[in-house]
Amino acid sequence: MLAALDRLQDYTLVVCEKPDAARRVAEALKEDKLATVNIGNVEVFLVKNAGNQYVVCSAVGHLYTVEDPARKRHVYPIFDVDWFPTSIVNSKANHLQKRIDVLTRLAQKAKIFINSCDFDLEGETIGYNVLKYACGGKEAAALRAKFSTLTSDELRHAFTDLRRDWGRNLAEAGRTRHVIDFIWGVNLSRGLSEAFFVANRKYRMVTVGRVQGPALSYIIDREVEIRSFVPIPFWNITAVLDIDRKRIEASYAKDRIETAKEADRVRAECEGKNGTVRELRTSLFRQSPPVPFNIGDLQKEAYRVFGFSPSQTLAIAERLYLDALISYPRTSSQKLPPSIDYRKILNGLKRMGNYKQFTEEILHGRLTPHQGSKEDSAHPAIYPTGETPVKQLDSRQLKLFDLIVRRFFAVFAEEAVRERISVFIAIGKHDFKIFGRRTLQLGWLRYYGIFSGMEDVTLPTLEEGANVKVIAVNVIQKFEQHPPRYNQSSLLEKMEQEGVGTKTTRAEIISTLYERGYITGESIAATDLGFSVIEAMKLCSPNIVSTQMTRDVEAQLERIETGDMTGEEVLEDTISLLIESLYKVKLNEMDIGSNIRQALISTVRLQNLLGPCPVCKTGKLTVIRSRRTGKRFVGCTNYGKGCRASAPLPQRGKLRTTNKLCGTCGWPIVYIRLTRIPWRLCVNLNCPTKSVKKREVPALP
Amino acid sequence: MKCQLCHRKAELERGYCQYHSKAYSSLVSGYPKWKRTYEDLAWEEYLRRVIALPETGIWVKEVAEAEVKGMIE
Repeated sequence: MLAALDRLQDYTLVVCEKPDAARRVAEALKEDKLATVNIGNVEVFLVKNAGNQYVVCSAVGHLYTVEDPARKRHVYPIFDVDWFPTSIVNSKANHLQKRIDVLTRLAQKAKIFINSCDFDLEGETIGYNVLKYACGGKEAAALRAKFSTLTSDELRHAFTDLRRDWGRNLAEAGRTRHVIDFIWGVNLSRGLSEAFFVANRKYRMVTVGRVQGPALSYIIDREVEIRSFVPIPFWNITAVLDIDRKRIEASYAKDRIETAKEADRVRAECEGKNGTVRELRTSLFRQSPPVPFNIGDLQKEAYRVFGFSPSQTLAIAERLYLDALISYPRTSSQKLPPSIDYRKILNGLKRMGNYKQFTEEILHGRLTPHQGSKEDSAHPAIYPTGETPVKQLDSRQLKLFDLIVRRFFAVFAEEAVRERISVFIAIGKHDFKIFGRRTLQLGWLRYYGIFSGMEDVTLPTLEEGANVKVIAVNVIQKFEQHPPRYNQSSLLEKMEQEGVGTKTTRAEIISTLYERGYITGESIAATDLGFSVIEAMKLCSPNIVSTQMTRDVEAQLERIETGDMTGEEVLEDTISLLIESLYKVKLNEMDIGSNIRQALISTVRLQNLLGPCPVCKTGKLTVIRSRRTGKRFVGCTNYGKGCRASAPLPQRGKLRTTNKLCGTCGWPIVYIRLTRIPWRLCVNLNCPTKSVKKREVPALP
Repeated sequence: MKCQLCHRKAELERGYCQYHSKAYSSLVSGYPKWKRTYEDLAWEEYLRRVIALPETGIWVKEVAEAEVKGMIE
C-alpha cells in the first residue's frame, strides 16, 4: 500500500485536526473503497471522489508551538519568539515529529491543499501552521472546508463549497493569541521565578498567565471575604402543624428576626393556640423551555447534574463530536438554524429505541426551537446529529449524550405550566406560611424533567377558615453564612460573565490553577501560594489581574478576526504594557521572592496536614519526610511534647489529603494515586478494618 | 515590620497586614449589630462569642484571639 502512495502525484492533500476526524472525512469522500496506509503509526487515507484523488492526513492537536529560541530560564524580558515543532520544544511530544515528517512527505507531491481542521481559532491555527511549516508555505494557496458536524452528508457538502478566503483572519487572531499568551506567561513567570531565586538562592518555577491572573483574583477576592467574615445572629420561628395527621412545618411570615427578645415574644404569643387558615392563594406560572446548549451552558449543566468538571465535559463532548454523534461543541451559540434539518435529526434519533416515543411526539408538533440570544458566526449551538452510536459508549459519554439529546427535544417543546400554592395560617395575631408547588402541564419537562431539578411539593387539602392544630412553636437561632466559595461551574460562569478566556480555554485555565497549587478543593479555596502570586501581580502588574486588560485583549483579537486590526499592532500594545510590569518586578525582587517562599512553606505545611491526632487529641497528624532516609511517614505535631503517634505510608504514588476520618478508628483517610484509580487508605496500621480483612483470608489446608 | 499574625508586611495601624486589618474592620463593624441583638454585650464577650462560631472567618478568629490575649495581658 505504501508503494501505491508513492506512485501517486498531483493529488489533493486534506489536512485534518485529529486522526478520527481524518477517518470521518475520508469515509465521507469515498465513492468506492477506502485505502489506509500506515507510515510509522501515522494513518493516511487514500480515497477517490468525482475523479479526484484525495490523500487525507491529520495533525494531533498543535504540532507547532511558540517558544523562546534561546530557552534560558534566567533571561527576561524576551519578545523575539517564534513557532517551533512541539516535538522539539517538549521532550514528551517527540512522537509528533513522525507526523510532521509524514505531512511534509505527502505535501511534496500534492497539487491542491485543503485545510479541513475545525473551524475556530484553534483549528485554524493548527491547520495554518501545518500548511505553512510542514507543507512548505502552502497556507495562502490552501482551500478551506467549513463544517459543524462530522456526519458524511455535511462533510460531502463542505467539500463541494471550498473557499480560499475563509478563516484567514481567524488564523492570524489565533496565532497572535498564542504569541501574546506566551510572552505574558514566560516573562512574568521568569520574573517571579528569578525573584524567588534572588531572595532564596534556590530556583523554583513560579508561573502566572494572562488569563490565569483574573481567574485567580476572583477566587482570592472571594477568599478574602470569607476569611474576614463576621457572622451576625438572627432568629427563625417555625410552627409544627398537624394537618390530616401529617406533620407540616410552617415558617413565620417574617423570615428573619433580629433579636432574641422579639423571637421569644412571638413564641409566647403563639404557644397554646391553634391556627386558622386565613388565606389560600394559588397562582399559575409558565416556565419557558431551555435554550440550546453552547459549551459554557453544557459544562455548567453537566457539573450540576452529573458532577463532571468543565474539562471532563469538554473532553467527553469532543469524543462524541469525533464519533459524529453531536455537532462541534466549542461554540458559544445558543441558536439552532433550520439549515441543520430538525426533521432529519429527529428521524435519526427515532431509530434509538429509548427516544422513539419522544421524537414522534415532537415531529407532530411545530418544529420551532426556543433559542437563546448568544450567537457564534462559525458554529450553531450543540445538537445531536441523529447518527446512531456504532460502538458502545461508556457511562459518562452516555450520560452527556442523553443530556444533549433531551435538551434538544426540550427546546422544541411547549412551556411547562406550574401552580404555586401559598397558605397563610394565623396563630393568634401572627401569620405563618406554607408553600406548595405542582406541575399542571409538563411541556418541556416531559423530556428534560429528570435533569431540571424541579420537584412538586404537595400540600394536604385545605380550606379557608379551617382550624389547624399547632403541635409546637420553635425558635431557632441562626447565623449569617459567608458567601459561598466558587466551584468549577460557578467559576466558569463568572469567567464567562466577565469575558475572561474563551469558550475553549476556560476549563483548561481552571485545571492549570489546580496543577500549579494556587487553588485547592472541590469548593475552591485559594492557597497561600495563590495569595502571594496575586499579591506580587497586584504590586507589579495590576493589569494582569484586572478583568479589563483581558477584555481589551479579547476585543483586540476579535478586531483581528474582523480585519480591523493586525496581529502586529496588538503585539505592540502588549509589549509596552509588559515592559512596565517587568520593571516593577525587578525593582521588588527581594520582597516578592521572600513572600513567595513564606507562602510556599505554609501551603506545603497545609497540604501535609491530615487531621487531628487521635492519640494526644491536641496535636495534628501530618506527613513528615525523614531527613535520614528520605522516606515519608505520618507523625504528630506534638512529638516534641511526647506524643508518639505515627504510621508508615506507602513510599510510591501521589498522596492526597481528604480531611476525612476513618469511621472505625478515627485516624485520617488519604488517597494514594499509583494508577488511574486512587487507593483510599486509613493511615492507621492497626485499624480494626484491616485486621478483619486479614482474618477473612481462609487458612491454607 | 511584619504583621503580628502572619508573614505579610504590617500596615501602620495596630500592626496587622492588609488582610488582618480588613478582618479587624469587619469585627468593629459587626459589633454594633451584635449589640443590637444582645444588649450590654461587652467587646471582650463579643470577641469570645465570635471566636467560638464555626461560621467566623479564619482571619477574624486570629484577630479576635489576638485582641482577647492583648486585653488579658
